Amino acid sequence: MDPQPETAPPVAHLDLKARLLVLCVLLLIAASVTYVLYARGAFERKQTLVLVAENSEGVVVGMDLTFAGFAIGRVNRIELSDEGNARIVVDVPSKDAHWLRESSIFTMEKGLVGATHIRAFSGILTDPPLPDGAVRKVLSGDASTEIPRLVASARDLVVNLTALTAADAPLANSLRNVQTATERLNGPRGALGMALGNDADANKIVSALDRTNTLLARLDRLVVKADGLAAKADTQVFGASGVMSETRATVVQLNGLLADARNSLRRADALLQEAQGIASNTREATTDLGALRAEVEASLRKVEHLVNEVNRKWPFARDTEIKLP
Amino acid sequence: MPPHPSLPIHPGQWARPLLHWWVGWWQIVHFGAQVAVLALAPSSYRRTQRALLVRSMYLATWPLLPGFTVLAALIALVIIRIVLATSLSYGLTRYALDVLVRTLVLELIPLSAALFVAVRYSLRAGEEIRAMRLQGKFETQLASGLDPTRDAVLPRALAGMFAVITLATVSGAVTLLLAYVSLYGFSTWGLEAFTRTVGQVFGPTIVLIFALKTAFLSLGVSIIPMVPLPHEGKGAAAQASADLALLARLLAVILLIEVGSLVGNYY
Repeated sequence: MDPQPETAPPVAHLDLKARLLVLCVLLLIAASVTYVLYARGAFERKQTLVLVAENSEGVVVGMDLTFAGFAIGRVNRIELSDEGNARIVVDVPSKDAHWLRESSIFTMEKGLVGATHIRAFSGILTDPPLPDGAVRKVLSGDASTEIPRLVASARDLVVNLTALTAADAPLANSLRNVQTATERLNGPRGALGMALGNDADANKIVSALDRTNTLLARLDRLVVKADGLAAKADTQVFGASGVMSETRATVVQLNGLLADARNSLRRADALLQEAQGIASNTREATTDLGALRAEVEASLRKVEHLVNEVNRKWPFARDTEIKLP
Repeated sequence: MPPHPSLPIHPGQWARPLLHWWVGWWQIVHFGAQVAVLALAPSSYRRTQRALLVRSMYLATWPLLPGFTVLAALIALVIIRIVLATSLSYGLTRYALDVLVRTLVLELIPLSAALFVAVRYSLRAGEEIRAMRLQGKFETQLASGLDPTRDAVLPRALAGMFAVITLATVSGAVTLLLAYVSLYGFSTWGLEAFTRTVGQVFGPTIVLIFALKTAFLSLGVSIIPMVPLPHEGKGAAAQASADLALLARLLAVILLIEVGSLVGNYY
């Protein structure tokens, strides 16, 4: 039975067109399914990488593992390990696996806006490649964890600011004092009145300044007199008949005296040399005296021996003393 | 004691609208189940029946395909430009393709294809079936040993479903192509990144929900207009009221399917 109304015009080659349309649609559906499977990585050879993180918050199945901004892997499964850690199982196609090395580092970053990112960093690309099924710890950086600390710091800051800007705060008092000081600075006594605090003391300072000025004037006169004295002293000391010229003459005389003394010493030196010659002659004479004495002593011993012989032979005489000539 | 001021309520009066509501929905479910049984029965695909089915599919789909594809491409192009410009100004271009695929391919195109087929084909097919019922052709066919549900209703229902699926698939493919060209221009250097992003969006759950949504939308818009009405042939006013009720139920079913898919996808 024809489901179309009778007014519809007949379609040429209806059966052929209908079959072609159905075939094309089926092919399109099949191609779409194949494309989605290809996009999901169903036809790729893969190796597995297990990333261990403290928590899997923000990680979803299907998210990318990136290297230098390029996706090289995809999270396939997230599971809880026996140690209570999150195990993120990542499928890495074999054609991209060479970017991952033994020394590669993996980070998981959670921004304030946008999704969590898992990144790989390979510093030394000459290291051995990461094996299939490798388990690596992932370093996590979470910007949102800084927010409570930031809020606490901001709260402290606000409390401090509130305390600073309160009506009875030290800062307000200081500002009031500054205002008072400024008013006094602009007053008739100026900075002096501000520094001393009352007019009586300021008057004392002013009178002290006046007396100081008087003193300085007298000092000026004294200095003029001292200048005159100095000029006179200069004449006395350095003048033509001053102390200095006489001193110079005295020095000349002293030089003459020193020359005479030098000559006298030279003569004394000659005398000493002569005395030294005399001394040497005396030493030689002393040597000769030694020899003479030895001879005398030998002669005396001979005489003593002779007397002893006489005494032995002449028993009358008891006086053995021998009187030497 | 004074009499009660409220109006008297006849027993069962409050239940009548509820009963009508329930009967209406039950008719849809029952009729849909009949068509589904016939669609799954091998006897519905005999040689002569197959030719009829294929012809019905062609006649339901081909007249709508170019117009809907062009319309969908134009609307998609506008939305793509808006999304790209917005994401560019906020520095979020990396999420633009994700948003486009989810918004256009997964949500808007199947919904608009279903509505387009409902307006341009299914409502007209429902009118034809209703006219056949009123003319007594159903009884005549049943008396001659034929099954009018199998021979008249099933081809139109399957043709409507095929039209919805075809329009959605073709427009989805065209939209993906337009999104790629808008993002990367007429070059192939972005194919890998594009494919990866598309793969990320089309996860197993998303694909399942997308397929179920498209199938249920096509089923709804194909069957509901052909459901026999309780007031058929009881005057023009009753007929108009029944038509409106049918249209409201069709929109309610479409809305329900769409909300269900959104809940499944994003919760």
